[in-house]
Amino acid sequence: MSMEISSLTPGVLVDTPAARVAVQPAAGRLSLRARKAALPALGAALGVSLPTRIGQRAAGGGIEAICLGPDEWTILTPADAVAGLLAAGAGVDHPHSLVDISARELTLRIQGPRAADLLTLACPRDIDTIPVGEGRRTVFDGATVVLWRDGENSFRMDIWNSFAPHLARLMGIGARELAAEPA
Amino acid sequence: MSQYRVPGRGRVDLSRPVDFTFDGRSYRGAQGDSVASALLANGVHLMGRSFKYHRPRGAIAAGSEEPNALIGTSRGAGRFEPNTRATMQEIWQGLETTSQNKFPSLKWDVGAVNDAAYMLFSAGFYYKTFMWPKSFWNKVYEPFIRAAAGLGTAPTEADPDQYASRYLHCDLLIVGAGPAGLAAARAAMAEGLRIVIVDENAEPGGSLLSEPQARIDGLPAWDWLDDELAALKAAGVRIMTRTTAIGYYHYNMLALCERVTDHLPSLPADTPRERMWRVRARQVVLAQGALEKPLVFHGNDRPGVMLAGAAQTYLNRYGVKVGNAPVVVTSHDSAWYAGFDLQEAGARVQAIVDTRPHVRDDLMDQARALGIPVRLSHTVTATSGRLRVSGVRVNPVSGAAVGAGQQITCDALLMSGGWTPSLHLFSHTQGKLAWDDDLTTFLPHETREACVIAGAGRGLWGIEAALTDGAARGREVAAALGHPGNPAAVSVENDRPGSGVSQKELPTDRNPGRAKAFVDYQNDVTAKDLRLAVREGMRSIEHVKRYTTNGMATDQGKMSNINGLNIAADALGRPAPQVGLTTFRPPYTPTTFGAFAGYQRGAHFEVTRKTPIDPWAEAHGAVFEPVGQWRRARYFPQPGEDMDTAVRRECRQTRESVGIFDASTLGKIEVVGPDAVTFMERMYTNPWAKLGVGRCRYGLLLGDDGYIRDDGVIGRMAEGRFHVTTTTGGAARVMNMMEDYLQTEWPDLDVWLTSTTEQWSTIALNGPNAAKLLAPLVEGVELTEDAFPHMACIECTVAGMPARLFRVSFTGEIGFEVNVPAPLGRKLWEILWDAGQQYGIVAYGTEAMHVLRAEKGYIIVGQDTDGTVTPYDAGMGWAVGKKKPDFVGKRGLARPDLAAKGRKQLVGLLTEDRSKLEEGAQIVFDPNQPIPMKMVGHVTSSYHSDAAGRPIALALVEGGHDRMGEVVHIPMPDRTIAAKITGTVFVDPENTRLKI
Repeated sequence: MSMEISSLTPGVLVDTPAARVAVQPAAGRLSLRARKAALPALGAALGVSLPTRIGQRAAGGGIEAICLGPDEWTILTPADAVAGLLAAGAGVDHPHSLVDISARELTLRIQGPRAADLLTLACPRDIDTIPVGEGRRTVFDGATVVLWRDGENSFRMDIWNSFAPHLARLMGIGARELAAEPA
Repeated sequence: MSQYRVPGRGRVDLSRPVDFTFDGRSYRGAQGDSVASALLANGVHLMGRSFKYHRPRGAIAAGSEEPNALIGTSRGAGRFEPNTRATMQEIWQGLETTSQNKFPSLKWDVGAVNDAAYMLFSAGFYYKTFMWPKSFWNKVYEPFIRAAAGLGTAPTEADPDQYASRYLHCDLLIVGAGPAGLAAARAAMAEGLRIVIVDENAEPGGSLLSEPQARIDGLPAWDWLDDELAALKAAGVRIMTRTTAIGYYHYNMLALCERVTDHLPSLPADTPRERMWRVRARQVVLAQGALEKPLVFHGNDRPGVMLAGAAQTYLNRYGVKVGNAPVVVTSHDSAWYAGFDLQEAGARVQAIVDTRPHVRDDLMDQARALGIPVRLSHTVTATSGRLRVSGVRVNPVSGAAVGAGQQITCDALLMSGGWTPSLHLFSHTQGKLAWDDDLTTFLPHETREACVIAGAGRGLWGIEAALTDGAARGREVAAALGHPGNPAAVSVENDRPGSGVSQKELPTDRNPGRAKAFVDYQNDVTAKDLRLAVREGMRSIEHVKRYTTNGMATDQGKMSNINGLNIAADALGRPAPQVGLTTFRPPYTPTTFGAFAGYQRGAHFEVTRKTPIDPWAEAHGAVFEPVGQWRRARYFPQPGEDMDTAVRRECRQTRESVGIFDASTLGKIEVVGPDAVTFMERMYTNPWAKLGVGRCRYGLLLGDDGYIRDDGVIGRMAEGRFHVTTTTGGAARVMNMMEDYLQTEWPDLDVWLTSTTEQWSTIALNGPNAAKLLAPLVEGVELTEDAFPHMACIECTVAGMPARLFRVSFTGEIGFEVNVPAPLGRKLWEILWDAGQQYGIVAYGTEAMHVLRAEKGYIIVGQDTDGTVTPYDAGMGWAVGKKKPDFVGKRGLARPDLAAKGRKQLVGLLTEDRSKLEEGAQIVFDPNQPIPMKMVGHVTSSYHSDAAGRPIALALVEGGHDRMGEVVHIPMPDRTIAAKITGTVFVDPENTRLKI
């Protein structure tokens, strides 16, 4: 039986001249679902102005929000702020759903001169069309992920826990493969 | 240096010799050689044996269309590759190659007896020969055919190489880096446009590599090429070599296979052997050029007989004379230049034989000036030589009359039947072809893809024509991409435009019925086979193809299709366009399984989802089983235990004290919103409106057809918040089904779904000591019958962790499911494990879980149901809220056949001889009825049960609910087992054990 990791802990997974992939420390994460009319009230309660175009992001007060669907957002927050945000959301008098998903997934940070190329190993989406400062829900190696583009060659990828080792293995193969390519 | 290497010609680097072996013998080539060019430089033409007749064969082409020169290549253990085209494999120091289809040796091959017996192996040979006696098929014919079939030897060792894949998005993909492709790139390129040129050869240039005599814009062709490539690269155009566009799929998706290391003498670390590129291109230019057709005459397959264009490539690109005394036979102008080039390189061309009565004056003049004899209006009727052509018999033709043959001695025979555009990728787009009468070939016509064809690929001939057309097509796609494109005017000197006529098999003065005039070299199909197929009634070209196997070899008829069509059309007496062309399918050239598999092999074959508790199970010796994408602990054997023993122990300890089980894989969905209860009422069969907060209920989910789809326990955590659980395998499917209804049927409901499967680690504790074990760790609720009864749920703290605690039982014992945030699961498990030692806690796996639930008659969706079982069939009518106005499947359940008597219903079975039944075994009422018996159901679950004191089974049986106590029969290979129909609850039907 393989003794491969079945869960990942924060730290560097692979570091080559092409790309460096690291598991990020645990963070707070909420899934917010609501109709448009509820957005101003929810934004005020959560302390972030919720973007309305899919893929758009907003940040403020230590939290980040990304719009993933016409009625769907993921909110990132420090772990210790989750309870406060859940309570703040509960006070909003508009129908909505706010669910703690902090424990559901983890985040990889992917950086380095070939970071964007590394994603092309298994992401069918055209990486070039994701503007810096935006994000997309997409697929990597068969698993649904949320990809955040923080810089030309700096990304974060949110992955459900049980898919992460599989994806991380490919990241390792890919980072070495890219580093071995003749210039 | 060998007498066939021509100094000063070619692009190989003679200062860098490369040694390799072929059939154990060492040869020396030069850096840049292919195996074929290097062997030809050593005077070796014999490179293989044909598939059916084992006839000696040499390279006939210089590119990927090569049908004959298939070799094995090897670089050590596991790295043997059969059927490599010697024309495409680059040599490297130490490369080992071997010929195929020969025994004991390439020069003396036993299988060649087939050649002598060739009259037996006519078209449809298999169909005619192996028809009778019927009983011979399995034992004699099929093993014989299988042993004889196949090219080369399949490797037996695991492939140690890594394969890779990537996605690539571009604005313009150009297939083919010849003059048309390069010109298209130059004309289309613009700031910000992503342009990719792909070429299967080791270096870009296409036909320019074979035509150094041309001068483009005042520069020698190769200098122009260098400048052009540099300019394109500087402009950001990506040029990919050794990369074959193998398939063209919907919406401009193309697959490219890149050969990364096959040309390297040593394998670099971390580098895949091949890489599959999945390309999405906004526009595509196909500039793949044209393929030369052989002429069809008796003996046209002898080593040394090859395409004239190939000979020109060997000379000009590789610096190799394919012979010192060649003869050219042609029906197209292009072959004349091959003769001229060879003559100028020092060969003595014995004759240029043209089937046409008239040829351009300048060609005649040049032949005369070079001293090459010319014979017009001639046919070729035979070749001689055993392992190498040594002579050719040519005859004058006058009208239909073929004159007397004359022998010409030669050591190579260069033929050209004209050129046919490479239509393969275009055909993959389901593009329509149009017949061109002048060129007597099909040309690309219309396609629904964003795709244009440039150059020889649409019948244009000559470098200037290709450059001009490429530029025009480049501007066309630039316009489609919103750019003006770049002007281009080129002038080409020493261009070699030309034309020709198309031929069927060449006329002969001998019996054409005895001619071995090959059309498909790889499958050994002759012109006579095609005519025979038509005589025997084949009318469609698709039937002719299958009857003769013409075009069905690994080269997919790159050389044979048009010749085959011309001959079949002639035999049918119909024009070629009415006969039509067979379909080309991907891949364009044979592609390794490795390239298709990419990274998906070995440990990375498929995602294996593991829970946070999985490492504990692994450390404790669990045996795992896959459940959907998950791997789950099946049982935990102790030293010396087999599965049965381990499972019995796990069941016993659970029922006697307490068992712990990892239920984290259960699907979980958080249903939140003011309309959550309305949504639940509509989705599930059960009523939810009156379920209080802090209570949970078993839920049954149907499809709209009324059949059971999924089930699970659902807790109401708050007025507008449900914690739904689903089966492990059904999680994603249920989520999708719910979203589907929500988005399409009930968009008005204020309720939202969030997958929380992986938010929670779920640990089940079951057994009489479960509450005793858990209670001291729980804060927020007392685990008593009053404070936390069966089917209660609460948010509380367990061992200091935030938890959702459910009191549920899938075993019939006192049971709890503790949900904690996923990463905490392992820690909680270990705390419970340690605390449970005083009770003799046992970790149990899915197998014991199955037994424990079956003893209580709890179904497993997908095992005891198969998509045709209603709640009533399963004996679960109690779960259907009959007063509810609607729910998914309510209408389906009302269909007459779903309410009819005699449906298969879930019952218990107890065997009379106390043996354990086999799951899946069929059930009959009367064991004495004649075969085939009427089968009335099957066993769905079957286990040894210590709690019941005997083996138990669940089964679906026709009208089973009305047959309690009746005996049914289960015929097995060795005997028939009698079993009594019972209820499905085998243990504690009063549920007394659930009480704390």
